[in-house]
Amino acid sequence: MNISAIKNIFDSEGIVFLVYTGFLSQTVISAMTSSLEKEAEHGGLGISESTHIYTVFIEMAQNIMNYSRAQWDDSHQPKPEGLIVVGKYTSGSGYYVQAQNVVLREDKEKIEPKLIEIQSMDVDAIKKRYREVRKSGRDVHAKGGGIGFYEIAKRCSYFEYQFKPIDNDKFEFSLTANIAKKKELEN
Amino acid sequence: MQDLVIEQTQYTPAISMLTEGKISLIGKSYPENTFEFYKPVIQWLNSFFEEGSVDSLSVTFEIIYFNSSSSKVFFDFFDVLNLNKEDKNIHVIWQHDVDNESALEAGEDFVDDFPDLNITIKTTD
Repeated sequence: MNISAIKNIFDSEGIVFLVYTGFLSQTVISAMTSSLEKEAEHGGLGISESTHIYTVFIEMAQNIMNYSRAQWDDSHQPKPEGLIVVGKYTSGSGYYVQAQNVVLREDKEKIEPKLIEIQSMDVDAIKKRYREVRKSGRDVHAKGGGIGFYEIAKRCSYFEYQFKPIDNDKFEFSLTANIAKKKELEN
Repeated sequence: MQDLVIEQTQYTPAISMLTEGKISLIGKSYPENTFEFYKPVIQWLNSFFEEGSVDSLSVTFEIIYFNSSSSKVFFDFFDVLNLNKEDKNIHVIWQHDVDNESALEAGEDFVDDFPDLNITIKTTD
């Protein structure tokens, strides 16, 4: 593994606050959130944009913890592993949180329509839908309220996603959420 | 029934539920198994309304940030308060840092979702 080459990639992608690959656990997520808090404090970020970053990060990391599957074996067993990156665009336009993990086709079929729906909505419509779904409890399951993607969408200016087929049953799911820098801080 | 006090961790708030009619949740909230974590909290609240002898309940929420499943649990918490608003004098304070817009917005959403509950949004400078 060429660690300098990895560093060069990071440097060309703006200021990277955090990169993690491997098993995700609550302890790891909590430690990384603390390190993002330190980074935000160091960088003088406002509470609003920093809480957006933490919330999006936590939402994506806990998604990986709850839904990710093993890539390199044939089982469909859950395996809480993935890749997660948090950084800042050098253009000064804001911050990003990226996550990549393996999902089953059946999960893709649940996630994708939601993402398509959200991308067609403006922020007020997303906020409205978030409250509707939370109130109805219709997407509640053992691990959550079914409103995680709305939570992410509420807090970012735009997001992009991709499902890349690995085999018939598995996809590599990647999601990038972009969080705008607050206007008054740009001056 | 007894008081319920849960110590704060890096990802769960300090929770204090006192039989004298005072509840506070202060800190961050992103547990791994949110519903399981808050189960005793919702249970305590239900018991308070079933068995509690005091007439009033004051609730303070001061949550800096939270995951979406906590948001669902807080909604359910407000829902229990709403169901019992005729029987007890309930006052909720939603406290947020003056610059924390998402916490303010979360509080405003609860005010809109529960118009008959007495919820005051307060800012910390």
